Amino acid sequence: MDNAALIVAEVVSAIICFVLLRFMIKPYRTTGESRYLGLPLGFGFLGVSYVFMGFALYFESFIFVDDLKWLQLFTQAYAFAFLAATYYFSKKPPERTRLWWNITYAGLIFALVVSYLVVFEPPMFGLPSYKTVDEYFRIFNIICLAYISIHTLRSHVSRPDPKTIWIPLSYLLLGFSQYSFLIWSIDSSFSAYVGAHVLRLSGLLVLLFVAYQAFYGTREASPKEGIRDEEAST
Amino acid sequence: MRKLPRRDKLKIYGDLLFILYSEAKKEKVVLTRVQLKTNVPFDRLKTYIADLKELGLILDEPSLKLTDKGKLYLSEYQTVLDFMKRMGLAYG
Repeated sequence: MDNAALIVAEVVSAIICFVLLRFMIKPYRTTGESRYLGLPLGFGFLGVSYVFMGFALYFESFIFVDDLKWLQLFTQAYAFAFLAATYYFSKKPPERTRLWWNITYAGLIFALVVSYLVVFEPPMFGLPSYKTVDEYFRIFNIICLAYISIHTLRSHVSRPDPKTIWIPLSYLLLGFSQYSFLIWSIDSSFSAYVGAHVLRLSGLLVLLFVAYQAFYGTREASPKEGIRDEEAST
Repeated sequence: MRKLPRRDKLKIYGDLLFILYSEAKKEKVVLTRVQLKTNVPFDRLKTYIADLKELGLILDEPSLKLTDKGKLYLSEYQTVLDFMKRMGLAYG
């Protein structure tokens, strides 16, 4: 695949993630609950990881290109970890788990800082080959995305609504994208590499579509009629 | 019997505003009916109503009703809840 096309794919992915970040921060700003911070952090880190990859592809002969690839690997894994943590804690009663989600987020941020330091201090910590670590990280990403897909799918099944089916689909697309990257990493299949980019862009576009529909889609009489009568009764 | 989840203050305010918005279509807002729908003790309901008045989200003249600021807040609050539902996130 042409390098320019790959750079464009990374840039477009990064832009979509940063647009999504603007939407994803709203649940936290409205509810003030730190357990929803994982959404903006997750999409922010995901966007940054695509920026790193874009830079690594653009500056191929740059001295820090390997470091950028390592950073991309870590950042992307933390992005999915933050998203998975958010979904995990969203179903738990907030008063009982507040301490745990704070510890989890603090732990993830601490691990992120440590891993960045490890990348820039290779003489102290001998790193294994990038390809090997890349494969492990892809597997980790697939696990996180599979968890989120199952979580959102169960949420959809418990209260079927045509509006809620898109999100499990988007996370599944992102998961299959990671799987395709894994296949590409193992057997260098060109079609897997192209497919991975297509699946990733499709997943991100579905997420963008959902966010756009929620905030700018056709609105009922304002304030929305009948929104959660059952919620009002709880 | 299904155990009802605990609501934080913000969710109670949201529910209360929605109920007041729905009740405003009727001739007069009856507090007992609001209390029944919000499922909070009467003394606490009065405190919440006082808080919402102080925030400029509701008016008490001649009957309880949402101000424009209250309607805007409710609309935005419900949009975010709808977004969270679409995202598969639970709240409350």
